[in-house]
Amino acid sequence: MRIDLEDLLFSRDQFSLRGSGTFNEGVHLVSGPVGSGKSTLALLLAEILQPVSGAARRHGISSALLLLQYPEYHITSSTIAEEVKSWGLDPDVLLTQVDLPGRANDDPFHLSRGELKRLILACMIMRNPDLLMLDEPFSSLDCAAKQWACKMIERRSKGITIIFSHERAVLPRVDAIWEMEGGALKALGSVPEAISRWQHAPPYLTYALEMGARPENIRLQDVREAICRIQG
Amino acid sequence: MIRITNLRHRLVDIPDLTIDARHIAVIGPNGSGKTTLLEVCSGIEEPRFGTVRILGRPPSAVRIGWVGEFPDRTLLFSRVYDEIASTPRFRGRSCQETDERVRAAAALVGVSHLLDAKVSTLSGGEKALVALAAAGVDDPEVFILDEVDSHLDAGTAGRVQRAVQKSRAAHVLWCTQSMDTAARADLILFMEDGVVRHHGTPDEVFAKLEETCFYPPLWRIRR
Repeated sequence: MRIDLEDLLFSRDQFSLRGSGTFNEGVHLVSGPVGSGKSTLALLLAEILQPVSGAARRHGISSALLLLQYPEYHITSSTIAEEVKSWGLDPDVLLTQVDLPGRANDDPFHLSRGELKRLILACMIMRNPDLLMLDEPFSSLDCAAKQWACKMIERRSKGITIIFSHERAVLPRVDAIWEMEGGALKALGSVPEAISRWQHAPPYLTYALEMGARPENIRLQDVREAICRIQG
Repeated sequence: MIRITNLRHRLVDIPDLTIDARHIAVIGPNGSGKTTLLEVCSGIEEPRFGTVRILGRPPSAVRIGWVGEFPDRTLLFSRVYDEIASTPRFRGRSCQETDERVRAAAALVGVSHLLDAKVSTLSGGEKALVALAAAGVDDPEVFILDEVDSHLDAGTAGRVQRAVQKSRAAHVLWCTQSMDTAARADLILFMEDGVVRHHGTPDEVFAKLEETCFYPPLWRIRR
């Protein structure tokens, strides 16, 4: 299972996006500033946008889902239970999992900002697609919900998961890091080697690297462990 | 000065709170009443019980610059220039003054290059910056930002912070999920289940949150 970006080129007005490289099975983090093209890349990988030239070629992928940054765009039903059923899932099971008991008959738009994101994210992860693309999955979530989302992502044992995010505090364990800057996609490679090359690393990671720590992954706990190792 | 007395509105319940700080961070879990408090302080909602006074006046009599978390819901015009120009135009300012204000507000936030762009072509973060420029274009006395940084990268969030700091606003009420950002505020309100559970300086409030994920990651690493 993989996606090959073959000289992918997309342009609109003054903006153009270029990328080459391979997304193998595992969890990928695509980071980069606002407007750098992260969401556009997500739409290209989801085949919602078409490139001007080149291709994003899928190999061995039979199902794909894209979580949009604003979860209200996913709503198709007037109750939360119907919304969960529209994903082919059991509302009782899912609502327990996302800690929204007793909300089955509510309008999805009556959920708080974070609750709606949690609901849609859980539906997607439970569908277990070969390719899961998450555009800013942590925005709108408080730190406890971000930690919950990370656990859900880490539980995916197979398939390709691509996280497009600028999150700087709560991150899951990832296998590879990519960076977008001004429309150019750069593969930084596998973790942990990629960490020291990561320009948009969160402050806690940058701080640890400056201290000489060499974390094995990008989570706060990895960084704390690395600091303990050098401090003895 | 912000004075809240006997406020009860939806789940928010604040018997008595006086805030005399400029940069106020409002933090807490999803669904704890942060947005409701900001809506009452902005005059978007009238409280069911109790009063809020900002600079000695009810919020509806204060010039407020509001930026919500989902700028898509508040952007009204299709062109960036028209969006930022909307407040001075609605207030009947001259074309020349409107133009000067729009260009200054756009430059402060760093969206001058987007003035002719269509709002629909902007990224989520660019929309937030445009909404900030539109909120700041008419010199608000109070800035209220509801998790604006949720959809912004660190560089852009820093730009928002600098733009807001440079403004002449007497108060900046800023709800955020970034604890490293909240740690730089003058005062923090930590809300939970509709009540202000802790308030004080960052040192005071975070000392009470050390065992939770609300403790700033940078502080945890440096400990």
